[in-house]
Amino acid sequence: MIEKEDPIISEEEAAQYDRQIRLWGLDAQKRLRGSRVLLAGLGGLGAEVAKNLILAGVKGLTLLDHEQVTEESCRAQFLVPVSARGQNRAQASLERAQNLNPMVEVHADPGRVEDKPDDFFLQFDAVCLTGCSRDLMVRVDQLCSQHRIKVFCGDVYGYYGYMFCNLGQEYSYVEEKPKVVKPSGDSSDGSGAKKAKVDPNETTMVKKTASFCTLKEALEVDWTTEKAKAALKKTPVDYFLLHVLLKFRTDKGRDPDPQSSEEDGELLRQIRSDVLDALGLSASLLNDDFISYCFSEMSPVCAVVGGVLGQEVVKALSQRDVPHRNFFFFDGRKGNGMVDYFGPN
Amino acid sequence: MVQLVGSLRKELADSLYTCKVLVVGAGGIGCELLKNLVLTGFKNIEVIDLDTIDVSNLNRQFLFQKKHVGKSKAQVAKESVLQFCPSANITAYHDSIMNPDYNVEFFRKFMLVMNALDNRAARNHVNRMCLAADVPLIESGTAGYLGQVTVIKKGLTECYECQPKPAQKTFPGCTIRNTPSEPIHCIVWAKYLFNQLFGEEDADQEVSPDTADPEAAWNPEEATARASASEKDGDVKRVSTKEWARSTGYDPIKLFNKLFKDDIMYLLTMDKLWKKRKAPTPLDWTQLENKGENEGKGNVFLLFISFMNIISLLILNCSSASPQEESPASGLKDQQVLGVWGCCQLFKHSVETLRSELREKGDNAELVWDKDDPAAMDFVTSAANLRMHIFSMNMKSRFDVKSMAGNIIPAIATTNAVIAGLIVLEGLKILSGELESCRTIFLNKCPNVRKKLLVPCVLDPPSKNCYVCASKPEVTVKLNVQKTTVLSLQDRILKERFGMVAPDVQIEDGKGTILISSEEGETEANNSKYLSDFGIRNGSRLQSDDFLQDYTLLINVLHTEELERDVEFEVVGEAPDKAPPPQSNPEEVNSITNGNKDSAQPSTSSKAPADEDDLMIVDSDEEEGAPSSSATVTSGTKRKHSDLDSDKSSTKRPRTDPSAAAGDEDDDIIALD
Repeated sequence: MIEKEDPIISEEEAAQYDRQIRLWGLDAQKRLRGSRVLLAGLGGLGAEVAKNLILAGVKGLTLLDHEQVTEESCRAQFLVPVSARGQNRAQASLERAQNLNPMVEVHADPGRVEDKPDDFFLQFDAVCLTGCSRDLMVRVDQLCSQHRIKVFCGDVYGYYGYMFCNLGQEYSYVEEKPKVVKPSGDSSDGSGAKKAKVDPNETTMVKKTASFCTLKEALEVDWTTEKAKAALKKTPVDYFLLHVLLKFRTDKGRDPDPQSSEEDGELLRQIRSDVLDALGLSASLLNDDFISYCFSEMSPVCAVVGGVLGQEVVKALSQRDVPHRNFFFFDGRKGNGMVDYFGPN
Repeated sequence: MVQLVGSLRKELADSLYTCKVLVVGAGGIGCELLKNLVLTGFKNIEVIDLDTIDVSNLNRQFLFQKKHVGKSKAQVAKESVLQFCPSANITAYHDSIMNPDYNVEFFRKFMLVMNALDNRAARNHVNRMCLAADVPLIESGTAGYLGQVTVIKKGLTECYECQPKPAQKTFPGCTIRNTPSEPIHCIVWAKYLFNQLFGEEDADQEVSPDTADPEAAWNPEEATARASASEKDGDVKRVSTKEWARSTGYDPIKLFNKLFKDDIMYLLTMDKLWKKRKAPTPLDWTQLENKGENEGKGNVFLLFISFMNIISLLILNCSSASPQEESPASGLKDQQVLGVWGCCQLFKHSVETLRSELREKGDNAELVWDKDDPAAMDFVTSAANLRMHIFSMNMKSRFDVKSMAGNIIPAIATTNAVIAGLIVLEGLKILSGELESCRTIFLNKCPNVRKKLLVPCVLDPPSKNCYVCASKPEVTVKLNVQKTTVLSLQDRILKERFGMVAPDVQIEDGKGTILISSEEGETEANNSKYLSDFGIRNGSRLQSDDFLQDYTLLINVLHTEELERDVEFEVVGEAPDKAPPPQSNPEEVNSITNGNKDSAQPSTSSKAPADEDDLMIVDSDEEEGAPSSSATVTSGTKRKHSDLDSDKSSTKRPRTDPSAAAGDEDDDIIALD
């Protein structure tokens, strides 16, 4: 759980975090400072999230990745030195990650997410999964939300990317709203007196709650009901694209590879039809267009998704500001970034 | 299936290898942008930034570490990038992009220019250079959680200056000098005071009571009498502020009593001002001193209470992750609000420090206002707070005063990361020759009614009347030819208002009389003369050139004797209410408070209407007006209504213009109205 707050912010922290304290306030910064986060997957997206959380000033960030550094990795992310080929990706990223902000405790763990015992996750306030299979994400999400640990998932496939979050069934947070000052009835002072006392920039913090469903529920929406079919028109197709790409990952144990773009393209086409068919939907919902644009992790798309995802983690840890509920989809070709809710009402 | 290199089609990937791009700025956006560019495969990058690294940059400018503080941003950025991409070919310039070395020829080297700037002057300048060189420009900006990216291509899209940008906010002199009603007025006053006492004295930064305040007069005759009296007085006063301070040896208590007692008592004699306003209450040093000493004994008690508060907060916060409340007892040191006597002491102390700083610099020395200079900041904090107290306003902490006085824009890594990602995506479209798919993209804090957090909008074509990119740009300027000096024309109008860097001006009088030459010294003798001295009158035309920017502007002079007080000129056709709903520029919010940049412009005295947002979420449970933390907006470009992303809505076009709904990604456009 979030550790006991040390009320004292050091001079060093105050100076370094000045520009963000001015944005989200000191309390939020302190909550960040008491939070521990697990980040699985140090590919392009993972590196962006790592950077964003370390700069934000969390207490600790654990980088968990069993993969090895390949030539591709060096092009994909900026934490791994070019000399680190063959090393474990988490460990190779550690030094640069730590240097981003010495005030954060950064750890590297070369293990696999699926091998971790349940209680491994309990030491964290938030868990962020990238590059994981659908089943693994569903399982970890289930476990973590039972223990009130906040769960985030995200991936980038070429020009496309998404983020999912589960902050629990009863997530409470505060929202900053402009203070509405009732004018005083006393007219003897004249308008000048009233104005003189009120700072136009004054705001007040309002408490709110929101409810989130599990990843399993979010992915298993029934599209055969009348209601669902009606909602389809306003539903971002990215949701279905996600299903296709997750199935590819499950079936092939990897993501679409530019080196085998021909075969993978064919497979994607097939999976698209299968997935939509299984959901009781028309294959025309998702046309062929996406196929050539979902290969490899595109750096600018990682930056966008990693930025949004990183900020959601910061918001959740500091319990401040309205969370995006519960998916964010980014289409790098159109420049569309959409937030939508999928799951039981 | 096309051949792919990573995510990209082969031809695109190949073109990235050979093309040259320029990044202007190596700060928040710049660092993220450089990283994205090299990881995407851009090989040849030039980056320029005049700034050095500060510790407050480190929360987001991730290419820099603590050990780099004080060094050149461009230089260190380059070195850091080479660490993870040694094969990149990066040239770094620790320089200002406005340096004439970076001429049109320099800009022509590049296939793409990307701005990562934080000020309007540089943006205007780069805009013109890219137009002159015909190089596509990607413009962007961020402030807090908000951001924006857009593409500028000569002849195809609006340029950066096609839409009038809200003028930097200014306050009328009499509000600052006589009748402040908001803390910002007091802060501006305190900064003026700093300059009057320790820095470069400026006629437009008067701090003493303004006897010619039209509001002070009970009738028109009195107003005239006041105005002429003030004019006579004025000269005397202007000389004496610093002189007077010097004559007292910068005695803090004497200064205090003049500013916070005598001058206030003078204001009280202008009784009409206080008929409908709460009158100020003068302060007396000695009285406060006596009171302060008694309170000092109470401070120990207060400390104990604060300590108990901390303990109880710890106990409360341990339990669950409950939503926070503000806990003043455990705030930053700077976030405490001082009491009156505390301010007095701070005032005295800072005056003494500044006095010695001044003495150390020698005769005729001047200090320059710097928010990071502790004594300067202490001075403004204390002086502003004392004034706030006098005018019955709640005092502000040093932390808050610093935000306002220093025009600090809150900034975080994630917003910059998103925007920089979008910049590269637009860049790829440009390099693929897909200009028609380029968009302006807004990053909001919350999704709009159509669920969009990132809102792409179709780009507008160039404005026919743009005073920069139209084929023969022309403007009409209203001014008083008998009261406007040549220097004023150069600095206030051509440089500040019209963004020229090194103007050359010719009068179209048949003789081609040269009024201003960009060559140093050539026309210096003209500076203090009035325009009328050169035969310039109503209807005269001035041809103004900036050769570096390859820009010629024809100015039609409209002579008038009826300008508002404190207003030196007006650009015709751009009265404040014609400008788009003003959203303060992220980089120069209240730039009037930045003494150096001398934005105490008499150019307009109207206050921009506050909080008018058509930019934010139209969510049913949201109140009108974004929360203060996200009130500032990017780069001043008008934000289109977020519902009508594909509608080229602007102040000029009706929203339901059918021709505006050009074929684009949204086929479920909801036409409001």
